[in-house]
Amino acid sequence: MKLIKAVGLLIALGLGSALAQDRTQTLIYGGDWSDLITMDPQVSYEFSGGLVTDNLYETLVKYEGTDLSTLKPGLAESWKVDRGRDTWDITFRLRRGSKFSSGNEVTAKDVVYTFERALAIKGPGSFLFTEIAQLKPGATKAVDNYTVVVSIPKTASPGSFLSILTFNIGGIVDSETVQKNAKGNDFGKEWLTNNSAGSGPFRLVRWDRGSQVLLEANPNARIKPKLQRVILREIKEPAVLRTALESGEIDIAEGLTPEALRALSGNPRFRTLKADSLRLNYLGMNVKEGSPFANKLVRDAVRYSINQDELVNGLVQGNGTKIQTLIPKGLLGYDPRTPYTFDPARAKRLLAQAGYPNGLEFELLVSTGICGGGIPCADIAAKIQSDLAKGGFKANVKAIANAEVLRTYRAQNHQMVLVGWSPDFPDPDGNATPWADFNARSLAWRNVWNDPTAIRLANQAALETEPTKRVALYRLLTDYVLKNGPYAVLYQPAVPLGLSAKVEGYVRNAQGQVRFENISKQP
Amino acid sequence: MFSYFIRRLFFVIFVAWGVTFATFFIANVVPIDPAIAALGDNAREEQIREFRERYGLDKPIWQQYLIYMGRLLSGDLGNSLRTQRAVAEDLREFFPATLELSVAAFLVTVLLGVPAGILAALRQNRASDVVVRILALIGGATPVFFLAVLLQYVLARQLDLLPVQGRLDGFSFPPPRVTGLMGLDALLARDWAVFVDSLRHLVLPAFVLGMFSAAILARMTRATMLEVLSQDYIRTARAKGVPGRVVVFRHALKNASLPVLTLLGGLLGGLLSGAVLTETIFSWPGIGRYVTQSATSLDFPAVMGVTLLVGLVYALINLLVDLLYAFLDPRIRYA
Repeated sequence: MKLIKAVGLLIALGLGSALAQDRTQTLIYGGDWSDLITMDPQVSYEFSGGLVTDNLYETLVKYEGTDLSTLKPGLAESWKVDRGRDTWDITFRLRRGSKFSSGNEVTAKDVVYTFERALAIKGPGSFLFTEIAQLKPGATKAVDNYTVVVSIPKTASPGSFLSILTFNIGGIVDSETVQKNAKGNDFGKEWLTNNSAGSGPFRLVRWDRGSQVLLEANPNARIKPKLQRVILREIKEPAVLRTALESGEIDIAEGLTPEALRALSGNPRFRTLKADSLRLNYLGMNVKEGSPFANKLVRDAVRYSINQDELVNGLVQGNGTKIQTLIPKGLLGYDPRTPYTFDPARAKRLLAQAGYPNGLEFELLVSTGICGGGIPCADIAAKIQSDLAKGGFKANVKAIANAEVLRTYRAQNHQMVLVGWSPDFPDPDGNATPWADFNARSLAWRNVWNDPTAIRLANQAALETEPTKRVALYRLLTDYVLKNGPYAVLYQPAVPLGLSAKVEGYVRNAQGQVRFENISKQP
Repeated sequence: MFSYFIRRLFFVIFVAWGVTFATFFIANVVPIDPAIAALGDNAREEQIREFRERYGLDKPIWQQYLIYMGRLLSGDLGNSLRTQRAVAEDLREFFPATLELSVAAFLVTVLLGVPAGILAALRQNRASDVVVRILALIGGATPVFFLAVLLQYVLARQLDLLPVQGRLDGFSFPPPRVTGLMGLDALLARDWAVFVDSLRHLVLPAFVLGMFSAAILARMTRATMLEVLSQDYIRTARAKGVPGRVVVFRHALKNASLPVLTLLGGLLGGLLSGAVLTETIFSWPGIGRYVTQSATSLDFPAVMGVTLLVGLVYALINLLVDLLYAFLDPRIRYA
């Protein structure tokens, strides 16, 4: 054994030159980044893509820390929303002296170019601009070098638009550099897939697909990071993630198992963290004509049958929080009330009242994969099944591939389905419209829940610009959907993380954004 | 010899076509929509429709196959649904890592398996033979993931000797990409530290991957050597007073090498395609990991591309083995 150690030491010494650079200046962040497809902010729509572009590009407005309900100045030092004749006119004043990594100054023409680019490219996230904000080509105008006016129709929500701007798609690109590298009519799409042209605190140096992404401090940035380099290491296997963290190969591990989290929490060399996510895991009930769930009493019976406390504390092991309403914790309008308690006797009474004195049998569709919080969906389904049995239901669990679950769900061919939902942008409307507005052809539509009150409230709340009034409207909506909707919300999963105790300043918000510039490492 | 070569080459082409045909139809009988798998639960109807149109998923299956074959003949493997790049480009990116790992594992296989087999045969039924046989049994029976996790635990976490993931330490800067083989690229860049680092990263996964085939090879070498050693000409050679070393290495080993060679060809092909689990456990960015990710997201073009590549390499290795065989033993050609 001594010999092995000695040889190992010699090899390590041979590596001396490679390790000569200051380890405190490099952060290595391990996790499953296999969904990385592009580094182009106007195309990227994946979680990992957002994590990277968020540090390469600045947006006009942004959220800070874990607060996703208060907009803060970004490239724009101020903004105001004016009520025009048929439009909302949003005026942004850019701060002077922000520079791209090329050294070019960020001006109004870059903002105009970026927004027009997003509309022209039609990336996977472009519906945020075209459908949610109803932004048209030519509707973004530069008044002078540092003033931009964006006009969106009265039917769109300025609150949603501002919140969409904090997302990847709102990352302002260096128009000069991008145009220089454009091929034909591609608006530099091919080039920006592998390169960066932003004013964020970091710039992209290298991307080895399937392996790692290398970011380096942007020398021209206004915001100076505390670290020189950040490396995203792709590690899919949770056991390897843990070993790599323990052996010091990585500084942060995202996506640990509950067991690993428990083991690390006892070790002073590490810190553990359960970061919020905006995801909600829920049961969807098909209320189309003829379905037993069309009866509100049956839906209520389902909600009274679920022992949510046991589910969250036992099965999810704290990797998630209890919630019953449709706006996740962390967003404006979050409603913490949980009025549905586990009451199987009441559930049975409700079922009898609804005309099922001998109980009700149906099919519960689940994915064979992993549900939020790192728990196999089948485990959650088994728990739900046994709870529902106490309330007089007989749920036949059918576990199939996730894509197949979604296909059936989209075709409205399910009876009850166990799935998750994350809003597309950090605004309550990202949940309210899909969950409540049948016409949006999203979740309400899939469950055939066409309810005029819910639709009206969702639309009204989306267009409200006065925050307190908006909160009041969402309060009404969440309460209404809680009692009448075709859903039983189960829990809001957390993202389990392990960090080396040397890492300081790490914050991950519920949208998955991490600002690398605030992170530092102790020797 | 030439006509033999041509016949074998035709066989390779036929195998390649068979692979495309089989994978295409197997992939497409899966009753799952790749568009939904790729776009996820938040995708809108228009997005899904657009995606289907863009990748021709809305066409009948025989048309999709014709389009695929047409493209294939012009060297285009199609586009990956998941990475949204040309599959050929993805393979160029990921194959070198797998090749590097397989070759290293192959070295492990040969360097462990052959000497162990010879040793065991020469010392039949003695202690060293028993040890080799037991080790070979264990090596052949231990699942890859178990061995991997065990070694990671002992060598990396407890002794802190070797890294557990990736091809390079996060703190050393990767060399400019020339061949895609990390060690070779480091040598070309004359970056010794990175070269050593890449070797360190290669040790564990190559050992884990090569262990199984080394065990098989050791048993095979032992059996073949024993058979050859019992032949009349060996006894004659020994009786004539030829030194033991010469008998073993010149007479016996040469004749024992033929079946071993066939096995080696199969093993190398197996290593290439069998790297899936090892790559996942060691976060090794090769085609094994690429194909598992592609399979789970129903990325048919990518899965077909990898299958075709591995199938071709397999067939080519076999061709090479057959040719070598025919070269070493002229009787084979007429069989």
